[in-house]
Amino acid sequence: MYRKTPFLFSAVTLVILLAACAVPSATQPPAAQPPAEQPTTPPQEAAPTQAPQAELPPAQAPEKSSTLTVLCTPQEDWCQAMTRAFEAETGIKTSYVRLSSGEALARLRAGKDNPEFSVWWGGPADTYVAAKAEGLLEPYISPNAAAIPDSQKDPEGYWTGVYVGALGFCSNRDVLAKLGVEKPDSWDDLLDERLKGQVAMAHPASSGTAYTAVWTQVVRLGSVDAAFDYLKKLHNNILQYTKSGAAPGQMAARGEIAVAIIFSHDCVKFADEGAPMLEVSFPKEGTGYEIGGVALIKGAPEPEAAKMWIDWVLTAKAQEIGATVKSYQLPTNPEAKVSERSVKLSEVKLVDYDFIEAGKSRKAITQRFEDEITVAPK
Amino acid sequence: MDASLGPSPLSRARFLRSFTHSLRLLLRDSSLLIAFGVAVAFVGIAVLYPLVATLSRAFSAEGAAVLANVLARPVFHRIILNTLALGLTVATAGTLVGFLFAWVQVRVAAPQWIKRFIHTAALVPVVSPPFAVAVAAIVLFGRNGLLTYQLFGLRTDIYGLPGLTLVMTLSFFTVAYLTLRGLLYGLDPSLDEAAANLGAGRWHQFRTVTLPMLLPGIASAFLLLFVEAIADLGNPLVLGGNYTVLATRLYLAIIGEYDLTAGAVLSVLLLVPSLALYLLQWRLATSASVVSITGKPSGRGRLITDKRATIPLVGGALLIAALVFLIYGTILVGAFVVSLGVNNALTLRNFEFVLVGYGAKAIIDTTLLSLLATPVAALLGMVIAFLVVRGKFHARNALDFGTMLGIAVPGTIFGIGYLLAFNTPTEVLGITVLPKLTGGAAVFGGALAIVMVYIIRSTPAGLRSGVAALQQIDPSIEEAAVSLGGSRPTTFRRIVLPLIRPAFFSSLIYAFARSMTTVSAILFLTTPQTRIMTQQILNETDAGRFGNAFAYVVILIAIVLVAIGLLSIFVGTRTGAEREAA
Repeated sequence: MYRKTPFLFSAVTLVILLAACAVPSATQPPAAQPPAEQPTTPPQEAAPTQAPQAELPPAQAPEKSSTLTVLCTPQEDWCQAMTRAFEAETGIKTSYVRLSSGEALARLRAGKDNPEFSVWWGGPADTYVAAKAEGLLEPYISPNAAAIPDSQKDPEGYWTGVYVGALGFCSNRDVLAKLGVEKPDSWDDLLDERLKGQVAMAHPASSGTAYTAVWTQVVRLGSVDAAFDYLKKLHNNILQYTKSGAAPGQMAARGEIAVAIIFSHDCVKFADEGAPMLEVSFPKEGTGYEIGGVALIKGAPEPEAAKMWIDWVLTAKAQEIGATVKSYQLPTNPEAKVSERSVKLSEVKLVDYDFIEAGKSRKAITQRFEDEITVAPK
Repeated sequence: MDASLGPSPLSRARFLRSFTHSLRLLLRDSSLLIAFGVAVAFVGIAVLYPLVATLSRAFSAEGAAVLANVLARPVFHRIILNTLALGLTVATAGTLVGFLFAWVQVRVAAPQWIKRFIHTAALVPVVSPPFAVAVAAIVLFGRNGLLTYQLFGLRTDIYGLPGLTLVMTLSFFTVAYLTLRGLLYGLDPSLDEAAANLGAGRWHQFRTVTLPMLLPGIASAFLLLFVEAIADLGNPLVLGGNYTVLATRLYLAIIGEYDLTAGAVLSVLLLVPSLALYLLQWRLATSASVVSITGKPSGRGRLITDKRATIPLVGGALLIAALVFLIYGTILVGAFVVSLGVNNALTLRNFEFVLVGYGAKAIIDTTLLSLLATPVAALLGMVIAFLVVRGKFHARNALDFGTMLGIAVPGTIFGIGYLLAFNTPTEVLGITVLPKLTGGAAVFGGALAIVMVYIIRSTPAGLRSGVAALQQIDPSIEEAAVSLGGSRPTTFRRIVLPLIRPAFFSSLIYAFARSMTTVSAILFLTTPQTRIMTQQILNETDAGRFGNAFAYVVILIAIVLVAIGLLSIFVGTRTGAEREAA
């Protein structure tokens, strides 16, 4: 007993000291790594404040090309597949954080002076436009960008398109049958009284998908006011505005709602992953679409690796990875194989979507959405 | 102790010996002083500083503009009303359920297995992340719910206030149950007996004797639940639907807009009712002890055996307990099927997703950080309890209050406070005392900030159980030790700590469970280098991948249960006296 209590105190001290060493090593990605690059790294002078940091892994040091942190906006499994493939190809230890596009933009703003990410991959181009306007991105014209059509990249090289997706209606066939409603093929079909509480979309403040849907109304109806009139009517039938863009598709898959307004490729993905009752349809008045972007972040801690990432994601080979994890976005590289499950853009009417204008109006529109739509009585 | 003071004509050797002795005494006594200093410094840095940072941002000129804007927009009036309505319904329902459980447990004649069953049901929510219930509730009672729709054909709308009330009542009633159960056990049954002897019926007795004595306890449980309900973030995020409350709006301000000023302003709106009610509760809880002045309960009262009363009471409690187990059963089953209720094929895919991807890292990080926070929080709780109960200085009440703020303040506010306070290196008089703790390039990938939050959130419970334990120990035991020549730290180590070992043990368990299940306070503090399980669960839930979320929850609960098992083996619940005997 006498000996034990001092032991307790020293044990705590020990634990705290161990923490200093244990935590950074635990922060490395769990995947096994070729240790070959480690010795080539010069001793870093980062974080001189802590004595036990002598053994810090290079993750926190201003290294050139041994690590990469990706801000990833598409579905989690695609993020994983991409970072794994890149790591296998280059030996660069690649980790990612998946954030929906609104969150991603917020996180970049928060870390403006000291970015935690080097490259941003995926998510609609309008958020990239907003990020460019706020000075969060660094221009980089990849040699591989030449293959990408001009309409799918920023002329100054602030962002480059990596995939294209069209917004659609994702319907649960069984629920529609029970309600006696036909598969919707017009925006006005969603206003059907029988669909009360049977439609869901995400909240435009946190989701790029939802913002695309809102901006599509602006383009299609010709003005912001007309768009809000439509959204107010639609609000009567909306069950919930979710945080993440694809979540309404999962609600449809669970049979909680009849129709989700999401990107059609997400709907096909869910259908393939165990919800065969899901069906895609497109509004005949025209629908919005997204160009998924990739961009170098200003002040990136790992600029070399980030540029390698951008070069790589523009190749046909990298763009074919999506389909292997059932992410059926259309590749932007014309040489990449297109999956049969992907949408044929030739069969869908697209609205004339102005990414620059959409990106600029984002803040005003999301605030107006919150003030006018979310509180409106049903 | 004073013998060594003052010069006396001693030989050099004796003087030297005496000098080192007194120095050692001073050092040993000063270790208590150091303990006090450490406690004050920790509370000051980890609790008060972030709060001050939030307040000063909210009351800056920029904050005033945001506040004016917030108060002018009708959407925020709705949000504030929603928040209060949610607090009210959850506090009412939770207190009722807690009271029912406590009453059946203490006052009703029922088979022992039934009592154990409902007791366990009341404790299960402690070891699971609070919003796990919400996810299961969608599967069970949602639009296409297993029970509501597929069994009974009802199209219920669980998103919004009714659903939130249901899941938050089931997640939080434990607080009310434990408070009221303790109070009921402590009530002197002779008062009831006196009333019965005077001819009062059971109901009359309950209304005029028992209930008035319980009122302060009931009020205190109600207020605690109210504070917990308006502070909760996970459940409203998952199940709120279009029912926005302050906590979720605050979350959107940070996550969707990264507007720290708006976050700080909304924090203050949330902080005012939370703190006011918490203080009211504290006053009530301390005044409630007046009741027990009648002395220790003189034996157990008669249990209720009247079938007209026992059947509805026990039946009601059993039904709710069954509901709790049904929900956790749903989580367990849901972890092993493709999509519960839609595609019930058995699969290990969910666990594969969790264990193969970044989930493994989240599991390791979270467990490791919780393991770090646990001993510190428990020990800090005991030390502060000792200082508060036995200390003879005025600052002790301030220290007590400051520590309790760690739990009285909603977690989201600490999240914002930490971002505001620690996003740049902390400097005192131009000297850097703390490096950058949050955001990009934070030390240890932000892990230090997370551990600090874990500690401040779990120390208050340790403090309270330590205070309760110490108040039962007659100070004369310590005085005896001191008059036999033991210094205060020696007394603390050899007399006090062994005597309060059970309290120490329970606060270790609490600290670990609390850390593993914390959501709202750490959501803003995770970084690419540090992943936390509760956040991953929330992500999976939000993306609609419920199977993965369930798999995470199952693993999390398993880790907590294993840790509790290991703790009871290594620390043990025996007091020091029992150890000496062994």
